[in-house]
Amino acid sequence: MPWESIIPNVLAGEGQPLAASSLVAAMDNEQFAAFYARSARSLWAYLARVSRDPALADDLTQESYVRFLCAHHPEDGDVAARRYLFRIATNLLRDHWRRPQSSSIEEMPEEMFIAKCGVAQSDSQAMLEPAMALMRPRDRQLLWLAYAEGYSHHEIAEVTGLASASIRLLLFRARRKMARLLRQGGEA
Amino acid sequence: MSPFSCVREREVTELLDQGYWPEACPADLRAHVESCRMCADLVAVTTAFQEARQQTMQLPRLESPGAIWWRAQLRRRNRAIERVGRPILGAQIFALVISVVVAAAVLAWRGSSLKAWFVDLPRALHLAALVPAALSQSSGMASIVLPVLATVALLSGVVVYLATEKQ
Repeated sequence: MPWESIIPNVLAGEGQPLAASSLVAAMDNEQFAAFYARSARSLWAYLARVSRDPALADDLTQESYVRFLCAHHPEDGDVAARRYLFRIATNLLRDHWRRPQSSSIEEMPEEMFIAKCGVAQSDSQAMLEPAMALMRPRDRQLLWLAYAEGYSHHEIAEVTGLASASIRLLLFRARRKMARLLRQGGEA
Repeated sequence: MSPFSCVREREVTELLDQGYWPEACPADLRAHVESCRMCADLVAVTTAFQEARQQTMQLPRLESPGAIWWRAQLRRRNRAIERVGRPILGAQIFALVISVVVAAAVLAWRGSSLKAWFVDLPRALHLAALVPAALSQSSGMASIVLPVLATVALLSGVVVYLATEKQ
């Protein structure tokens, strides 16, 4: 007799009867598909723009969702779940940068990102991409969350793990630098 | 007005978020943005990032949600198995320790009787009848019995290992 049949709830989920848990799993699967459709592209855009590596963004997007599903994520709505997802992605990105390897974001040649990204299509994009390359990864994160995703300072603090009080100053400096770079056409 | 923000920044932000900039922007606010460095920075950065977001969101070829769902299920399942296996491993270690302690205690208590039994073992099994006469002395018998017991112990270890791997 397989041990799973002796302790069925261990695999099906904590404290749920087996029949009910499979029903819940099917519902969750559908809910997840809908949530994924609403959030995956913006998460990928965040990871791709901040890391400047689309292949890494592919990997981290998938891993973020797998971890999101494995964790006990907040159940107070789509916005909170989305914020939690971005937090997971931010931590994964940070872990990636901390890993001692030659493919660190700081050591990659700039041309490689531009060639791989394939997003330098319009004039504004042509200016933004080199400007992003000159920003520090943390500044790229803050700017993207604030001005592309429209998160408040409090939400950015929650996603990045930075102190809420310091977000305003960090964001102000990053925005000033980015605006200057954009005016200069992305040149330092 | 704080050193990090302009009093009209909120108005500009709302227009930008709602997509009303610059068409639906009042003339006075537009004039303010032209003269205020902070609001001009805000407009430049926000419009660039919003456009970048729209463009970048068209790019990815996303994995199907079903595949990600099942990967997550698999990971949860493996974690659950790991969680269940942890106390079993603990119980196995505990059982091994108890067995070793009991074996040591028995050896200490009845060591001399066991030694006598071990020395008498070849005679009890009539091994002398199975081996050539040259090896039938007591030292020769021990040189047969010891490798046999060692082989049995080794094979038992291999069987236990294979059985554990199969699980």
